[in-house]
Amino acid sequence: MSESVFVNSTELGAEARDWIALLKPRVLTLVVFTGAIGLIIAPVHLNPILALTAILCITIAAGAAGAINMWYDRDIDAIMKRTASRPIPAGRIAPGAALAYGIVLSAFSVLLMALATNLVAAFVLAFSIAFYVFVYTIWLKRRTPQNIVIGGAAGAFPAVIGWTAATGSVSLLPVLLFLIAFVWTPPHFWSLSLYASGDYQRAGVPMLPVVKGARHTRWNVFIYTLILVPLTLTPVLFGLMGWIYGVSATVLGVAFIYYAWRVLADRQDEKGISLTKDAPAKAAFRFSILYLFLLFGACAFDRLL
Amino acid sequence: MIDSQNWTPEMLAEFKRRRRGRNYLLLAVLGGFCLLIYAIALVKLHEYGQMW
Repeated sequence: MSESVFVNSTELGAEARDWIALLKPRVLTLVVFTGAIGLIIAPVHLNPILALTAILCITIAAGAAGAINMWYDRDIDAIMKRTASRPIPAGRIAPGAALAYGIVLSAFSVLLMALATNLVAAFVLAFSIAFYVFVYTIWLKRRTPQNIVIGGAAGAFPAVIGWTAATGSVSLLPVLLFLIAFVWTPPHFWSLSLYASGDYQRAGVPMLPVVKGARHTRWNVFIYTLILVPLTLTPVLFGLMGWIYGVSATVLGVAFIYYAWRVLADRQDEKGISLTKDAPAKAAFRFSILYLFLLFGACAFDRLL
Repeated sequence: MIDSQNWTPEMLAEFKRRRRGRNYLLLAVLGGFCLLIYAIALVKLHEYGQMW
C-alpha cells in the first residue's frame, strides 16, 4: 500500500506534525518577532532566560488560541479549500482533543508567564487569548465584515506583552505599537481576502469582499494604509523613537501606500473583479508582512543604538 | 474505537510509526519543560533570592 494512502487514513491516528499544525506555526513567526521587539525596546533589562521564557509563553498562547480557533471553525474549515486539509476537518485529530489541547496550552502559557515574569504580563496574555477566542472567533468572525478590524486587536498584543513582561507595566510606546499593529491588520488581511473571497463566500464568512464587493475592499485597503502611515510616525513625534525609526517608517510607509495604490488601481471589470488575478493584492499582502517586520525591526534597531 | 484487527501489516507498521512520532514529541516537550522550570528556578533564586 502506498504512503499517500496512509497520509489520508484517519484511523491510524495523527502524526506528531498534526499537533504542531494545530498551533498555526506560520502565523507564529510574526507573533514571536513582535513579542521579542516589545522585550527589546523595554527600558528594563530582563534576564535572557526569563526573556526567552516570555517569548515562549507568547508563542504557546498564540498557538493555543489558534488551536481553539480551529476547533470552533472546523465546519467552515472543511468547506474552504485553503483549510480543508487541516487536522480537524481532515479527521486526523478529534475536535474535543483539539479543544482540550488549546485550553491546556492556554492555561499553561499564562501560568508560566506569571511564574517567570509578572502578573501584569500574565493578565495581558490571558486577555489576548480570550479576545481572540471569544471576541474574534466566536462573536465577530461570522457576524460582521468588520470582524478583522476589531478582531485584529488580538494580533496586536504581543509587543505589549513583551514590554509588560520586562517592565511590569504598560506605557505609551507599547500602546502606540499596539495601535500600529491594530491598524496594519485590515489592509494586510483584506489584501488576502481579495483573492481568497471565493473560499469565504462558500463558507458563509462575511469578509468585506463577500459583503461589500472587491471595489469597496480595495478602497478600504487604501484608506487604512493612509491612516496607518502617519500613525507609525507618532512614536517619533512623542520623542519615544529617534531618526533611524523615523526615516524607516517614512520610507516603508511610502512603499506601503504605493502597494495599496496598486491594489486600488488594479484593472477590474464593471463588478470590480480583478482582471489581473489580483496580482496587486497578492503583492500587497506579501509586502505588508515584510513591512511590519522591518518597521518593528527598525524600532528595536533605533532603541539599541 | 480503533478496529485494528482488520489492519494489514503495513497499516499496523504505519500506526506504530505515527504513535512513535507522537511519543517522541511528547518526550521532547516534557524534557524541555523540566529544563525550563529548572532554569527559571536558578535565575529567580540567583537574581531575586525567591521564586515569586
